[in-house]
Amino acid sequence: MSVPAAPPRPALLRWPGLVLAAALALSWRLVDGDLHALLSREALGAALAFGRGFWPPAHGRDFLAFLARPLAETVAIAFLGLSLAALLALPLSLLAVSPEALATRGDPPGPLRRAAWLGTRTLLDVMRSVPELVWALVFVRSLGLGPAAGVLAIGVSYAGVLGKVFAEIFESAPRAPARALAAAGAPPLRALAFAVVPPSLPLLASYTLYRFDCALRASAVLGLVGAGGMGTQLELSIKMLAYDEVATMVIALFVLVAGVDLLSQVARRLVRESRGLFPVGLAALRVRAAGLLALLAAAVGCALFLDLPVRQLASLAALRSVGAFFASGWPPDLDPGFLRRVAPAVAETLAVSVLGTAIAAVLGFGLAWLAALRLRPEGGSGRAARTARVAAAWAARGALNLGRTLPELLWALVLIFAVGLGPFAGALALGIHTAGVLGRLYYEALEEVATAPAAALQAAGASGAAASAFAVLPQAFPQLVAYTLYRWEVNIRASAVLGVVGAGGIGKLLHVSLNLFHNHDTLTLVAVILALVTAVDLFSGALRRRIVEGPAEAPRARAPAPAVVDAW
Amino acid sequence: MRTRAPFVAAAALAALAVPLAGRAAELRASAIPDEAPTELQRKFAPLGAYLAKATGMEVKFVPVTDYAATVEGLAAGTLDLVWYGGFTFVQARRRTGTAIPIVQREEDAHFHSKFIVPTSSKAKTLADLKGASFAFGSVSSTSGHLMPRYWLLKNGIDPDKDFAKVAFSGAHDVTAKWVEAGKVDAGVLNESIWAKLLEEKKIDTRKVRVLWTTPDYHDYNWTVRGNLDPKVVEKLRAAFLALDPSNPEHKAILDLQRAKRFIPSSPENYRAIEEAAKSAGLIKD
Repeated sequence: MSVPAAPPRPALLRWPGLVLAAALALSWRLVDGDLHALLSREALGAALAFGRGFWPPAHGRDFLAFLARPLAETVAIAFLGLSLAALLALPLSLLAVSPEALATRGDPPGPLRRAAWLGTRTLLDVMRSVPELVWALVFVRSLGLGPAAGVLAIGVSYAGVLGKVFAEIFESAPRAPARALAAAGAPPLRALAFAVVPPSLPLLASYTLYRFDCALRASAVLGLVGAGGMGTQLELSIKMLAYDEVATMVIALFVLVAGVDLLSQVARRLVRESRGLFPVGLAALRVRAAGLLALLAAAVGCALFLDLPVRQLASLAALRSVGAFFASGWPPDLDPGFLRRVAPAVAETLAVSVLGTAIAAVLGFGLAWLAALRLRPEGGSGRAARTARVAAAWAARGALNLGRTLPELLWALVLIFAVGLGPFAGALALGIHTAGVLGRLYYEALEEVATAPAAALQAAGASGAAASAFAVLPQAFPQLVAYTLYRWEVNIRASAVLGVVGAGGIGKLLHVSLNLFHNHDTLTLVAVILALVTAVDLFSGALRRRIVEGPAEAPRARAPAPAVVDAW
Repeated sequence: MRTRAPFVAAAALAALAVPLAGRAAELRASAIPDEAPTELQRKFAPLGAYLAKATGMEVKFVPVTDYAATVEGLAAGTLDLVWYGGFTFVQARRRTGTAIPIVQREEDAHFHSKFIVPTSSKAKTLADLKGASFAFGSVSSTSGHLMPRYWLLKNGIDPDKDFAKVAFSGAHDVTAKWVEAGKVDAGVLNESIWAKLLEEKKIDTRKVRVLWTTPDYHDYNWTVRGNLDPKVVEKLRAAFLALDPSNPEHKAILDLQRAKRFIPSSPENYRAIEEAAKSAGLIKD
């Protein structure tokens, strides 16, 4: 025992670093990574010409008037889709609460209850693992074109997300009230409904609101497959190289997303402050009734505006035609010739997601470092230097916002022209959009770390940079890695559909099979996407737990799990 | 009470939706989006007004961005009249069994596709395109995908194996833009749109040249769903056939459709397309 321990090798040389490096190199090869396409003189020239095309944004009266309706449609689709998702998610999430969490002493869950739990969990997993664009394609095919397909696509895929999160919220709610009800003889599900659900409602509402801006971006993209909203026009303008129009639409989307973000923040604060179920006094009750009525009026207004054939959609015939669509694909195509074409597409999709996430991590971190104002100590430098720092921080935040505003599919459409068709454009698109998302999470995490260690190092004579590197980064590191892995799980879904716009991977095969009515192929591809997404979720989940909680054999004090961030 | 609110909301929504369902008699027309939907809408406007007068119905153009969706729309009865390419017509006919092609343009009986390359390309024949990156139009396009694929295979090129990269631009004018900008080594598009791009000087002929033109085939037609009121079908057919190039008002409509005049069409015209689609593997039995 007296042998001195060898000094630990640098993290990058231990196996996780090596595996990561190998995965990145392989991904680079698989997606035809090409620095020349990115940095050559022609490429830079093209990028410059491309940038000039954006200015000035199209502002003709006709174009602006024309744009109003698709914009309003986009908002209405997102709102109705999310409302539908919440309606679907509430009952599903009750069934998805783990039987163990429900079990009361001396009352082990029966097999029926277990089966219901497992079935619901699986259903929710399927709903959220199939990318919303694929849902939209399915609904467009089975129910027809238009905003109804968009509303349903968002409804179903977000119900999967909300259902899972709702169930987790119920599971982590205090158990005592439910136990008291159960002791008084209430069956478990009823105990849950009366003792756990009511106090959780504000949290549920808050999380649902939090997802609104994601739903808005999703609804801006669904037009690409004919599901209403501004996506149609955006695709068109991008493809016809009318970048001034693209610029106007991006600005509009930017303002919309920012506005919705602000509104949802205010609404979430109100919900948080309202505390719990039982409104205190008549006034509070009135406020709630008014709120609900306003929501209802908004929903009806949206439905009227979109001219949704609600009765038709709520009919059994609609359900049957969706069923018929899947049934027409049975049995899935397992022809070896077809599978041989699927395999490389799967590898490409995986590679795009890995490389895209890596690009996002690097780019996002660089910008986050600039954006995290609180990181740098205040004193010691002149006023001019401080102003420059603040300016840089705001510029970085602006860049992150821009990256985040445009969904990856639209970035891909744009980048296809900059670097050519294929998976590399897809990886870059994923990288830019995700950098926007990750960068914001990163800088928020960086700003949260304790500043005392850095101050101590600086007091001991370390430079500002050294203090950040040795006293700030290690504190935030597990959190940053966990965020990055979360995003990888989101990105595998995105990269599975990038092919629809020509950026490689399995999405291209799906696009082709859907257009040619090769329904057996379509079913196979949807199943493959499902399997791929699930595999990545499981793998990344295991990694995250290991990084956040440390190796299983050396249990440490459990670090707080990162808040559910934009998790699908 | 609170948990019940969503269900109350749903019920109220359903109740409000009832008056929405009843609609005036209208004819919903659409077209495969082989060009920009705004362009399609512009082209359709005078024709739509003419058809409205001829049938006494309100004619509404439903713009779409997805070829296959027009097929599903006709099958589901949400579209009544659609401008199809040969291949989408075959798909619609196979899907519904009853779709009726009523008229086609005179020039649709002898249609062609043009393979185009940048002027600087060294390719002289189709076979020289091996190893190139290549752009088709839409997956579901006759002149932008099916027939070109068929002729490539006949010339010993399997697009899935012999091209370095295959992309679907989605529309003919986009393909031309991509070749002009050098984003792909070669592409293929419909001759009628190629001619239009040249006429309107939307393509720079110093940058793009035609490599090869396919032999004749039948393409586009106007198709109605099989269960549309036969009286309406007859009125529509008569109205199309009555378009007379010597009448200046009609001439304007025909010009926008890029048609000399319309002639009757029949499903038999598209047998050859169906066979080509089968042999190119685009239709599986």
